[in-house]
Amino acid sequence: MASPSQQLPPGWAAEWDPTTQRYLFTEPSTGRSQWEVPTPTPATLIDHGPSVSPPLPATHHTKRRQYAAGQTQAYYGTNDGLGDQYGTLGVQQQQHPAATAQLFTPGLAAEGGFAGQQQVPYYPPPQEPQYINAPGFGQEPAYHPPNAPIHHLTDQFGQMGMGQKPLHLQTTNLLTSPPDPRELIHPPPEIRLPPNACITSSPFANADPSYQRCTVNAIPTTSSLLNKSKIPLGLVITPYRTVKEGEQQVPVVTDTVIARCRRCRTYINPYVQFIDNGNRWRCCMCSMSNEVPQLFDWDQTRNQPGDRWARDELNHSVVEFVAPTEYMVRPPQPAVYVILIDVSHTAVQSGMVATATRTILENLDRIPNDDERTKVAIIAYDTSLYFFSMPPGTTESTMLVVSDVDDVFLPKPTDLLVNLTEARQSLESLLGRINDMFQDNHTIGSAIGPALQAGFKLMAPIGGKIIVLSSSLPNIGAGALKNREDLKVLGTSKESGLLQAASPFYKTFAIECSRAQVSVDMFLFSAAYQDVASLACLPHYTSGQTYFYPAFNAARSEDAIKFAHEFGEVLAMPIMLEAVMRVRASKGLRMASFHGNFFVRSTDLLAMPAVPTDQSYAIEIQIEDTLTQPFVVLQTAVLHTTCQGERRIRVITLALPTTSSLSEVFASADQVAIATLLANKAVERSLTHKLEDARDAVHQRLVEVLSSYKSSMTSAGAGANAQLAISENLKMLPVLVLGLLKNVGIRQSAQIPPDLRAYAQALLTSLPSQTLIPYIHPTFYSLHNMPPEAGTVGEQGVTLPTPLPLTSERLERHGLYLIEDGQTIFLWIGRDAVPRLVMDVFNLPNYEVLRGGKTTLPVLDNEFSQRVNAIIQKTREMRRGVYYPHLYVVKEDGEPPLRLWALSCLIQDRADVLPSYQQFIGQLKDKVNGANNY
Amino acid sequence: MGGAGWLFLFSVLMAAGLLFTMVFFIIMFSDLECDYINPIDLCNRLNQFVLPENIAHAFLTVLFLLSGQWIAFLLNLPLVLYNGNKIRNKNHMYDATEIFRTLSGHKKESFMKLGFYLLSFFYYLYRMIVALISESE
Repeated sequence: MASPSQQLPPGWAAEWDPTTQRYLFTEPSTGRSQWEVPTPTPATLIDHGPSVSPPLPATHHTKRRQYAAGQTQAYYGTNDGLGDQYGTLGVQQQQHPAATAQLFTPGLAAEGGFAGQQQVPYYPPPQEPQYINAPGFGQEPAYHPPNAPIHHLTDQFGQMGMGQKPLHLQTTNLLTSPPDPRELIHPPPEIRLPPNACITSSPFANADPSYQRCTVNAIPTTSSLLNKSKIPLGLVITPYRTVKEGEQQVPVVTDTVIARCRRCRTYINPYVQFIDNGNRWRCCMCSMSNEVPQLFDWDQTRNQPGDRWARDELNHSVVEFVAPTEYMVRPPQPAVYVILIDVSHTAVQSGMVATATRTILENLDRIPNDDERTKVAIIAYDTSLYFFSMPPGTTESTMLVVSDVDDVFLPKPTDLLVNLTEARQSLESLLGRINDMFQDNHTIGSAIGPALQAGFKLMAPIGGKIIVLSSSLPNIGAGALKNREDLKVLGTSKESGLLQAASPFYKTFAIECSRAQVSVDMFLFSAAYQDVASLACLPHYTSGQTYFYPAFNAARSEDAIKFAHEFGEVLAMPIMLEAVMRVRASKGLRMASFHGNFFVRSTDLLAMPAVPTDQSYAIEIQIEDTLTQPFVVLQTAVLHTTCQGERRIRVITLALPTTSSLSEVFASADQVAIATLLANKAVERSLTHKLEDARDAVHQRLVEVLSSYKSSMTSAGAGANAQLAISENLKMLPVLVLGLLKNVGIRQSAQIPPDLRAYAQALLTSLPSQTLIPYIHPTFYSLHNMPPEAGTVGEQGVTLPTPLPLTSERLERHGLYLIEDGQTIFLWIGRDAVPRLVMDVFNLPNYEVLRGGKTTLPVLDNEFSQRVNAIIQKTREMRRGVYYPHLYVVKEDGEPPLRLWALSCLIQDRADVLPSYQQFIGQLKDKVNGANNY
Repeated sequence: MGGAGWLFLFSVLMAAGLLFTMVFFIIMFSDLECDYINPIDLCNRLNQFVLPENIAHAFLTVLFLLSGQWIAFLLNLPLVLYNGNKIRNKNHMYDATEIFRTLSGHKKESFMKLGFYLLSFFYYLYRMIVALISESE
């Protein structure tokens, strides 16, 4: 640290000691002196998070300084705080089998004989689960009861009297502080705007992180400062996230009075200034003075003067405007769904057709159709196209076969695309019959390209959504693909070629679709190579999504349930049609590059024919000029047509303070947003360069951040150091990066089929942070010794156990564990599991008869089984998104592929060539020290 | 006027044509940056000219080879190989989905080519004059 005196807490002084060449820190009031940099008391609170009650004894403060030194030998095993529960847990557990081998049943243990023994070490302090059980991290605090975590935190800050002071930087040593998965659910560092930045005192005036979050919550004023910190500057946006029950709906401004800046077209928001007696307003981005519209203060529903300060756009950061006709190119179109069903032999045999048609049938009522204008068409295809004509007024449908797939034409001008309400009966009877019609179809092959063209022709004048269900590699007509899977290429530098589109058709067709406002969703089912990479191009550029069910077989009810659930959710999804998105920012900031599923139509305009819910977009930001204003505003506007046929603009405003201090940049960095942005960048790099390059770039970026932190924020400066320092709020970044490097999408391996890789990459670039973080850093619970309240219904739904660090050291031979990454759930059972446990959970006599693999867990008439089921249920429901994770039972000595798959989720372990967390940290340390040594 | 004179007169005209193509490319790219044109139209328009431009340049190079103008041939050879390599890797066409990501690279390439055609234009002009003078002597 260059001048430690600036960073000292009040009451401390620094003296340069020439004999030791170090600073000596003294506190004159108490007479204490020490060599280490003293930490201000508030920081101790932040350090331990809200789990610790605010009035901490002073002894804790001094103890903290010994923390680092005393912890080297006690990695995960100290006697205070977190280590307590983790460390003793292991010890206690090992005593169990010895003492009470024949009796141990987890469910009963909690209430029965072991209660006394277990209660102390087994579960965290009672306040802890609040975070874990909040309905998803990063929701608006005010929706929770007053004791909700964020309030808790802000209260603490308030008590400390820190007010608008800059965030305090809390350094932590990565070598001695193990990653704690609970930190991932913490909200990002607080946004501390200067006083009076916001014109209203609404708690919703700044965007919630689940809608829009920035990688740093205090924007550096110059690009050189940003470059010095090495933290990537970017915005992670989920403009259309689902709003669950109990959460606040997005307010809608219905009076079509839309005040926008004349120059930069910014929408009025809580950060503008009213000047000239409130007759004009000054834009917060370009400082242009604009007139307030005449009807701004007029309540049109009651026809009387209204209260300007009650207007939603001045109180809420996320708001929707009903758009007048100026915002329409054409009258709002109805929602249109064209469903292309693969009816080739493989598709029918796998049961996909039956499941799909049944799901459509069951979900006809859920398809958005409030205005009864929704249109639906169904086209079946194998090597020919089968159209179904449903004339109005009849309940029957006729099938029209087009076998000329080279030059696709519509066999009939009308009645193919029918109104959902009018043709309801014929649709129902058709859906009931499709599977029988093609039951004996022995045609093998897939004309997906011609089917897409036909669907496109059908809906091109209106636009809408094409949903493709496909079971095999397309091999006929336009867009035919070859099997290019080459096992020799895997793991080499040529592998990234397999992740790019093989045929230009999928890109050119995607562009055509984007122009005609058509979005494509892909549901892929093949057991063999299907070239997901090429097919996923279409959803990628038309703002759709790819869903992949490798080796789908509806005979396994788990497969059928998963697909039916996800397909049903996609059908029922209230999509935004004909959308364009633009992000505006204060002067000096520029949106540099865009990641996600859309087509970039001009330098900053993203075209999205249909926006699905819960899809995330990442945007890199450049600082072009020095920022002079005290805070900057980033505003995302999505102009769209709702599926009820209303033209609307969704506006999301995020205001962030600027700072010229490097320590504040570090202290305000949001590790979750950084990891999301890095995932997006890594995938893009793996396509344009090589997978190797993508991994190196991510790794290099982390090393740079750490080096920069070390050289500018710690006293070590340039020399080698035994520590690896990073700020407390970035503590989880290394483990997230490690998780990203070990993710199927970019992992170094010669074993991963390109289809799985391509699918993982599609997920990495489209999942919102809430789902992406578990995807790269899975959640790991121990079930056999979970606290008694876990799995029962608490204040915020089902209470979940405390997540454990992702290392197999935690796995015990008699234990039952749950590992989940949002896409799959593994129920790991140790080989010494007592029969009673197996009986309670699986209703089987002992471990030997238990079979590994996809399962549905029975709900049994015992408390433990019900709690385990409740936890699994909660795991499936707690995150936003349509995904319904499969449940796999993994036996410790079961079949190796499944075991290895489950173990690959434990990212802190060493796996193959990939380092363990300790090794990774060691490598980082060497690199950081090496980087500064020249 | 003999063979060399005619050849270089022809090359001067070709180089002028190529020069104009490059200017057109650069104007289109800056139009895209200023949002006067959308990426789809841009790529459709520019892609019509990519192959003709490459072929014209290769044709000129072949003419130099056949007429034994070694220096001119060697000057043009690297660009022919570069273009050929791009066509072989099938990335010679502009891709509307990637255009914003690759725009700076495309612009740089167009400027380089512009400079190259400009220099070769003057070189051909010089060679033409030299050839004419030597003939008249």
